[in-house]
Amino acid sequence: MNDGPLIVQSDKTLLLEVDHPSAEAARRAIAPFAELERAPEHVHTYRITPLGLWNARAAGHDAEQVVDALMTHSRYAVPHALLVDVADTMDRYGRLTLEKEGLADSAEGTRLVLRTTDRPVLEEVLRHKKIRPLVGERIDELAVVVHPSERGTLKQELLKVGWPAEDLAGYVDGEAHPIGLQQDGWHLRPYQQQAVDGFWHGGSGVVVLPCGAGKTLVGAGAMAAAKATTLILVTNTVSARQWKDELIKRTTLTEDEIGEYSGARKEIRPVTIATYQVLTTRRKGAYTHLDLLDARDWGLVVYDEVHLLPAPIFRMTADLQARRRLGLTATLVREDGREADVFSLIGPKRFDAPWKDIEAQGYIAPADCVEVRVTLPEGQRLAYAVSEPEERYRLASCSDAKLPVVEKLAQRHTGEPTLVIGQYLDQLHEVAERLGAEVITGETTVRERQRLYDAFRAGDITTLVVSKVANFSIDLPEASVAIQISGTFGSRQEEAQRLGRVLRPKGDGRTAHFYTIVSRDTVDADFAAHRQRFLAEQGYAYRIVDADDL
Amino acid sequence: MSTASRSLADDIRGRTDAQLVDLVLARPDLARPSPADLTSLAARAGTRASVQRAVEALDRGHLQVLEALVVAGDGASVTDLATLLGGADESVVAAHLTDLWTAALVWRASDGEHVVRTVPEVFGSSIAGLGAPLAELRPDLASRVPTAEELRATIAEAPDDARAMLEKMTWGPALGVLPTGTAGRSTARWLIERHLLLPVSVDRVALPREVGLVLREGRLHRAPELEPPALDARPASLVDAAAGGSASELLTQVDELAAMWGAEPPRVLRAGGVSVRDLRVTQQRLDVTPERTAFVVEVAYAAGLVADDGEIVPVWAPTAQIDDWPSIDAGERWATLALAWAGSTRAPHLVGRRSSGTGTANVLGPDVQWPAIRGVRRDVLRELAMLDPGQAADATSLRARLAWRRPSRTAAVLGDAVEAVLREAEWLGVTGRGALSEAGRALVDTAFPAVPDHPPIRGDRGGGAGGAITSNGQPQGEGLHSVAAAMAAHLPAPVDHVLVQADLTAVAPGPLVGSLGAFMRLAADVESRGGATVYRFTPESVRRALDAGWTSAEVIETVRRSSRTPVPQPLEYLVSDVARRHGQTRIGGAAAYIRSDDEAVLDTMLASRDLSALQLRRLAPTVLVSSADPRVLIDLLREHGFAPVHEGRDGTVVHAETPKRRAGTRRRGPAPVVSPVDLDTTRHLVESLRAAEATAADRRAEHDQRSGPSIPATDPVVTLALLRDAVAEHHGVWIGLSDQVGITTRHLIHPQRVEGGRVWAKDDAGRERTFSVHRITGATLEG
Repeated sequence: MNDGPLIVQSDKTLLLEVDHPSAEAARRAIAPFAELERAPEHVHTYRITPLGLWNARAAGHDAEQVVDALMTHSRYAVPHALLVDVADTMDRYGRLTLEKEGLADSAEGTRLVLRTTDRPVLEEVLRHKKIRPLVGERIDELAVVVHPSERGTLKQELLKVGWPAEDLAGYVDGEAHPIGLQQDGWHLRPYQQQAVDGFWHGGSGVVVLPCGAGKTLVGAGAMAAAKATTLILVTNTVSARQWKDELIKRTTLTEDEIGEYSGARKEIRPVTIATYQVLTTRRKGAYTHLDLLDARDWGLVVYDEVHLLPAPIFRMTADLQARRRLGLTATLVREDGREADVFSLIGPKRFDAPWKDIEAQGYIAPADCVEVRVTLPEGQRLAYAVSEPEERYRLASCSDAKLPVVEKLAQRHTGEPTLVIGQYLDQLHEVAERLGAEVITGETTVRERQRLYDAFRAGDITTLVVSKVANFSIDLPEASVAIQISGTFGSRQEEAQRLGRVLRPKGDGRTAHFYTIVSRDTVDADFAAHRQRFLAEQGYAYRIVDADDL
Repeated sequence: MSTASRSLADDIRGRTDAQLVDLVLARPDLARPSPADLTSLAARAGTRASVQRAVEALDRGHLQVLEALVVAGDGASVTDLATLLGGADESVVAAHLTDLWTAALVWRASDGEHVVRTVPEVFGSSIAGLGAPLAELRPDLASRVPTAEELRATIAEAPDDARAMLEKMTWGPALGVLPTGTAGRSTARWLIERHLLLPVSVDRVALPREVGLVLREGRLHRAPELEPPALDARPASLVDAAAGGSASELLTQVDELAAMWGAEPPRVLRAGGVSVRDLRVTQQRLDVTPERTAFVVEVAYAAGLVADDGEIVPVWAPTAQIDDWPSIDAGERWATLALAWAGSTRAPHLVGRRSSGTGTANVLGPDVQWPAIRGVRRDVLRELAMLDPGQAADATSLRARLAWRRPSRTAAVLGDAVEAVLREAEWLGVTGRGALSEAGRALVDTAFPAVPDHPPIRGDRGGGAGGAITSNGQPQGEGLHSVAAAMAAHLPAPVDHVLVQADLTAVAPGPLVGSLGAFMRLAADVESRGGATVYRFTPESVRRALDAGWTSAEVIETVRRSSRTPVPQPLEYLVSDVARRHGQTRIGGAAAYIRSDDEAVLDTMLASRDLSALQLRRLAPTVLVSSADPRVLIDLLREHGFAPVHEGRDGTVVHAETPKRRAGTRRRGPAPVVSPVDLDTTRHLVESLRAAEATAADRRAEHDQRSGPSIPATDPVVTLALLRDAVAEHHGVWIGLSDQVGITTRHLIHPQRVEGGRVWAKDDAGRERTFSVHRITGATLEG
């Protein structure tokens, strides 16, 4: 019997014992084809999915390598059926190819063709209801014309029916624009460089990095590699400003070269930063800002926080298949389960690293996650017990029993930059009043927000109470304590994002603190458990304490 | 080799002991019940039932030689047969012929081989797709059967369409429907006029055997296959490791099945078996395919681990055997399952198929019973055992080879069964990556031992899984241990620890030792199976453990003790949270309650010694309960000066606890004794046959010397009449008298009187003797 670190399960999960001496080698061997599903302290779980296997094929790995990796590192015999399945699945990739074909007698010069080496496969897919409308005339027995605009949708549908097409049609280079990194006094970290390389060699894809690990720089690195006009899609205006500042600081780009395309401003420049919101604005049923996508011959499209990509953007992205696409995210968990769409439209995951690994390298701050349990007073318990189910969560999470706990925690960390994050505005205002702090909600103006952020950053104020508007892309360099008083039900990615608020590395290497206050024996605690499962799976062991023990 | 014989009986009487042993081994049905002497052995060997059985057991090679001999006619030379068989190797034909002679399907006379009379009957009129001979179809033409040359000449003259029509019928079937068209009719008429086709009914024609043979250019079979097709093999690596992995997985599944059915046993359907719904529930728990679920259930049943508990509402429950199961060594547990599988007559792959009449076959149901599957398992495993270790058989060539070995089986059914056996062997770990594992080889040796020096033709029965398994599926003895030892080395070593993590999962990096495995299954939900098992602690699973009587401290302590890693604090919180709420509400049973607003009255009752028999218990200041019947309570209270009134019986609480059920050990009828016809018994039989034959020969010799008439068998009524006549006329009578062992002796007697079914008579020597009439086989008057 082999003494490898890997155990291959019959349900296609791979268990990697991280404390094993050859765990690192095994991780490297399986990373190309297996998705990291959970990364708790001792045993990481990877999963072999068809998508992962096809991505591996796309990246040039063959079934033999996969089988070899499994056999070499596995502790027990690998189930034979699984090996057969791996080979069969990988064999399905590449039977269909999307190619660009030169045309002598056409004005356009080229056309896009779906070609196969295996006629029955083509016949099978062409008979699918959803695929037939996407293709044009039949050229011969083995090929059919595809309209360039259907390239993405076709790939997406082919993936769904299990015959992924190998896209050999390549990318347009786009309008060239000189962009370089200004590495004065700083350098891309090794993992950032790996992510950029991984993306660039793969053509398109998603990079998964924890919050605070410098995803913006991976974006900048990709732009420097592309040296072409770039469209950056971000979640909101504040985030757009931060991207702009960071790009000016880190690259050779100047303020004039970067445009902002948002509700407030509509600038189109060689590098344009647009919000999802403005792109998805509709007037009379039509998207009014779609032109942006064709406004320039973009060489690179960057999607920030790709796990939040709204559905209409998926459809628009389907039309952008000829351009290089980079997705950035901290978590590829989508509560709507559309991970597969992200993979098929933007591209496969090109880089992923367990948070704890990056923490171990000192690039993100170590965090102490604590769940504080408060016991509801008798009266509230009764009110909770008799309330309507839909009211329960609000009742439990807005309990005023949490207020003294927030106060106590804030006192404990006096002087440290502290964020209090919550879901319900009434509750936030109440907390702010007790702490004497400012509140930022969706109603706060951008100007006011910026002022507060600046003050917070400067250390003039140490406590901010924020609603979920602060969930994404606000960069609060020195926030080292986060107190979560209520959340969006069991949203795991929200939890991850909120933890991300405090993970940016601290100047003095301090440990960050992340508190979640929950009401005992209520749905609040159940949802909290669900959210924390995500953190635990990222390797963050959390503690539970009673409010009375604080 | 025998001297020239005149009949099968003669031939058999002339065989040596060794040859007789071979005969009986080849046709074991001849030995049961034991024939009295060689003559009756020969008679039995010639019966249609026995011949049919022997012919069905022939492989394709021997079958083809036998067919050739039937077609060629008695006394055909080996060369003739080889020609008929498409120019086959004469030595092979001769060897096959000897095998057929050994099996007494053929007997030898001075003029060559003769087919036993019943063989053509068993074949019927169509042999290898050939029609009946001309003489049989048209007795009137018997004297004018054309020779092959004449036929060839006639056929050469045939017009193209006539020849096409003949060609269609060449390789059978030799019966055809007359074409309806005019052109077709005239073609057929041309053929019929020349006796190339013979009409057998208004619209049907037959191709006579002679014509067929000419058309086939003297060959009987399109593709003579005297030798078995080669078995293709490919090398397989890590065979034993893979087998060990599967074996370990199966053991886990069986444990899980037992745990599941112990808690919630599925109902036994009225027609037997488990309902489709229950099977699906089981399947979801085991998290495997439906086929594999059926297999696990059937194997557990075959090994006697689950059974019908035989209650009024019967359920399938683990047997008492399951309680000792975890303490048995893993290798031995596997051997028990594997031997049970090998000996089982149940075919799990039939589950879910449409069975005749009764709908789909249910797992553990009667439709899954298919005794032939055991033979298929034996054949498949023996074929695999013939390959070198580490060689996996190619499924297609294996199927072809088995089809050659069993030509009488429907190819599709056989192919299906072979596939199922290969699949099950893989699940079981008898094979790993298609090659027989070391343990698999030990299993074959134990369950299907080869008979030493066995003749090349074997009956269907011999060497069945009789050796190591008694009828109730309990393996025993050395076989079990050798199989267990062979597997034990390749089973993943059991681990006694888990790795507990902050996301509330616990990973067991191998099969857990029995008690820990049971605890983990109880206190956590299984999330992923395979070499390792991933468990997840959830509020529900922890509650389950508490329900089963564990305390929160015990749960935490057990986890702490068995975890290699520190127990994460959230797990402790989870357990204590669940424990805090566990048992907040209590439920119990009481037969009656007493309530009163006057607490003092209740105090008095509790204190009263006279009422102590009622075992009153105070639940609340104003409520007492008792396990006595309300009426008894009322009577007794009244007797003691209280004035209770009867309240309705609502409020009686039903005890909701479900006990774990266990079926009794499987009740079966007396165990059918499997006593294989092996070498020893056969030798024994032949010895006794020899002895009987010697006696018979003596008797024949004696018979020849003795004077007197032959004694016909007569009806007792006739005998009695004759004896009475003889008494009246003082005549002597020859009687045949059968003695206690059934040997008939002849006596000349002078009957004196006949009374009450007995005859008093004087024998030759003048002594008076009594004979029972029912012992007298026949009688005839002297002279």
